[in-house]
Amino acid sequence: MSQDTKKNFNYKNTDLLKRYITETGKIIPARVSNVTASEQRKLTKSIKIARFLALLPYTDSHR
Amino acid sequence: MNNYELTLILNPDLSSKFDEFEVKFSKVLSDIGFETKKLENIGRRQLAYSILNHNKGHYAIYQLEGPAAGAIELETKLKYDTSVIRHLMLKVDTLSLEDSLLMIESREAKKAPEEIKVTPPKAKVTPEIKPKEDSVEEPKTKETE
Repeated sequence: MSQDTKKNFNYKNTDLLKRYITETGKIIPARVSNVTASEQRKLTKSIKIARFLALLPYTDSHR
Repeated sequence: MNNYELTLILNPDLSSKFDEFEVKFSKVLSDIGFETKKLENIGRRQLAYSILNHNKGHYAIYQLEGPAAGAIELETKLKYDTSVIRHLMLKVDTLSLEDSLLMIESREAKKAPEEIKVTPPKAKVTPEIKPKEDSVEEPKTKETE
């Protein structure tokens, strides 16, 4: 990755987080998205918080 | 004293009565020794999935400072508050006193309400024209119709 700015992974930043989940709602693995290990830890944590607060879906088959 | 970030999802039917709730809730907070550093009233927002048969929720984010004992008390209070359909209290190192992205998003949505009406509600379904993202590459080819 050429970006030297740290990504702002926060559960309120849903537009950014949406790029790191698949259409089915799964978190994209770091080996695919080329996110650093420490960033991936922050990313998964914030995605899971965002899911709990109904900002992101858990799956694409919510009733 | 600790710093807390409290996100509430309120019953959307009580959206218009948020001011009443706010007055009541600020009293609860002061009773347990909490100080509100910032309150963001984000407003009604579409939920990603239904909670207690609600498809929309009224979001509010509090930046608080208070004792740990009060935090436990507040948790139990929120648990039995029927107007709060979901809540999350996080202990944070530093409070973010700038406007959150959710707040900015909702403000922009209010500014341009016409645009929202025009766009179909299921914007997610639209074929993936990803906004020039360098980092994300789809590994598996999913049912690309």
